[in-house]
Amino acid sequence: MQTTNCPGGVSAGGAMRAGFILAILFFAAYYTYIAFAELNYLSSAGRLGPGFFPRIIGVSLVALCALSLYIDLKHLPAAEAVAPAWRSAAVLALLSGVFIALFEPLGGLASMIVFMAAALWILNPGRALQNALIAVLLPLGIYLVFQLWLNAAMPRGMFPLPF
Amino acid sequence: MDIFSNLILGLSVAISPINLAYLFIGVMLGMFVGIIPGFGPAAGIAILLPITFGMDPTGAVIMLSAIYYGSMYGGTITSILLNTPGDSATVASTFDGYPLAQQGRAGPALVMQAVASFFGGTVGVILITVLAPLFAQVTRSFGPPEFFLLVMMGLMTLIVMIGGNWRYGAISALIGFALGTVGVDLETGQSRFTFQSAEMIGGIDFIPIAIGLFGLGELYYAFYNGLHLSGSGGIVQYQKEKRFWPELRDFVETKFSMLRGAVLGFCIGVIPGAGATIASLMSYSVEKSISKTPERFGKGAMEGLVGPEAANNAASSGAMVPLLSLGIPGSASTAVLLAAFLMWGLTPGPLLMAQKPEFAWGLIASMYLGNVALLGLNIFAIPLFVQMIKVPYRILGPAVILICTIGTYSVNGSIIETWLMFAAGLVGFFMKLYGYSPAALVLALVLGPLAEQSLRQTLTISRGSFGIFLERPTSLWILGVTAAVLAAGLLLRRGRREED
Repeated sequence: MQTTNCPGGVSAGGAMRAGFILAILFFAAYYTYIAFAELNYLSSAGRLGPGFFPRIIGVSLVALCALSLYIDLKHLPAAEAVAPAWRSAAVLALLSGVFIALFEPLGGLASMIVFMAAALWILNPGRALQNALIAVLLPLGIYLVFQLWLNAAMPRGMFPLPF
Repeated sequence: MDIFSNLILGLSVAISPINLAYLFIGVMLGMFVGIIPGFGPAAGIAILLPITFGMDPTGAVIMLSAIYYGSMYGGTITSILLNTPGDSATVASTFDGYPLAQQGRAGPALVMQAVASFFGGTVGVILITVLAPLFAQVTRSFGPPEFFLLVMMGLMTLIVMIGGNWRYGAISALIGFALGTVGVDLETGQSRFTFQSAEMIGGIDFIPIAIGLFGLGELYYAFYNGLHLSGSGGIVQYQKEKRFWPELRDFVETKFSMLRGAVLGFCIGVIPGAGATIASLMSYSVEKSISKTPERFGKGAMEGLVGPEAANNAASSGAMVPLLSLGIPGSASTAVLLAAFLMWGLTPGPLLMAQKPEFAWGLIASMYLGNVALLGLNIFAIPLFVQMIKVPYRILGPAVILICTIGTYSVNGSIIETWLMFAAGLVGFFMKLYGYSPAALVLALVLGPLAEQSLRQTLTISRGSFGIFLERPTSLWILGVTAAVLAAGLLLRRGRREED
């Protein structure tokens, strides 16, 4: 792993770490607010109600996140290791999102082929024939297994296939 | 009925041609899942769960369980030949497995790990056969306080044993509990955190979360670490070795290591939250500490490979005991298995063995057959799995994304659940990156409703007093065991810190 040095400040990696726990803290605070504002501690029969457990969870989560944020900010490294291949992970995540967005409009098979072709073109460059074959045959195989053998739900899309 | 007649009933179910076929497919898939670096049994079961939809419940659970224990075998092949564990449970196998391969003894190491895995797995299943019915009988007297304490014991053990920051482990578990409260409250019928969405009334479906956290999250993390760039270039060419089979002395020298590993592994596996990784690492420590020549460890000692291998396979069997007899999973993998059981209308717990003996015993009997099949596969199909190791991660990765997406969508035909899986994948990536515990989150998500229900019932019985946990003898026993396990876990953490 490579290290990013940020003399006198907090590294991008360190800020992201703090940002992640801050995001959890916001989630926890909102969860706790609903647990107290909308859910009753006792039911109409006088037993423990729907708000009892969420209040315990919410308060514990807020307290633990706040404590962790405090400790992490106190000991945040000025330089945090950043993996050199982070771009590949980001590209793959982006492609996954685009794939899901196209999944219903294009249909199962077509969107799988588009996704595989794009992913292999970026991640496995210089092997056009191999990539083309994999991008068509693998989705076709998965489609046949799920659609014909397992009879699973699969979006048909704008251009439904005859099989 | 006694154990033998139950076992014969189970065998009659397990050896039906269709169940044998599912078993064989399951162990093959498990091996394949095991050899993919970064992917463990939890990811394998979650991703492959949708392909069981057309099957009958017994066949489906036999296949999913076979994926679970099959992956324990598979992970070691890459540990020995590539110095890359397929899963955290096979990390200990790299310590001496890879040095053995470098010394030209990859063949004997592969065969010995297969034999040790078979031995550990089979001892584990024998112990399940004997102990699971006893556990089921004992736990029939358990009430809400005991169930709540068992859930908390499993989670706390997992948090203490995972080795990272305990605060992050606890936060992960609390997020899982929070997600588990979404949906209609079963006691009052009031909606909670649904935001008037009809899709949320039934709660957050477990499958998209598990596939996202363990499938996509692990994959993004593997790419982040550049696994797709490294390839399989460092693989040891075992085919060039003069001698593939182990020598007699290998068996003689390691026979007690296998036995120790198997018994230790099973005992650790039974404790909710401990699991195969802890079992294999503890077995390695035990073997090294009692060896007359500890200096050989780390340089190719066969005991250092065989002990942990027997331990992790026995632990995976041991983890089935609380699952079958209590309905409480002790790990992320068994949590996914529990979800599969529930999906098929099977409720594991004290009454399962009495009410559905053909299912429970069919599953146990299939584990004997599965271990035999895995022994054969591990010795004679190694070339096939080595070819699979050679498939570049940059091709395997996008293929896994396809299967995760199709698998999630096919459950309910819901694009919202598919987006939920994607979101869980991103969260899972950051959790891995910053040392949080996706396993604790998933375990808490599955056990959350049981924890809430049993706590509310407990406090209703006791009229709001927490003193009830100290008044019941069974509860006191569970508290005592929990304290002992947590103390052992804290000592283990301290030991690890000192080693670092």
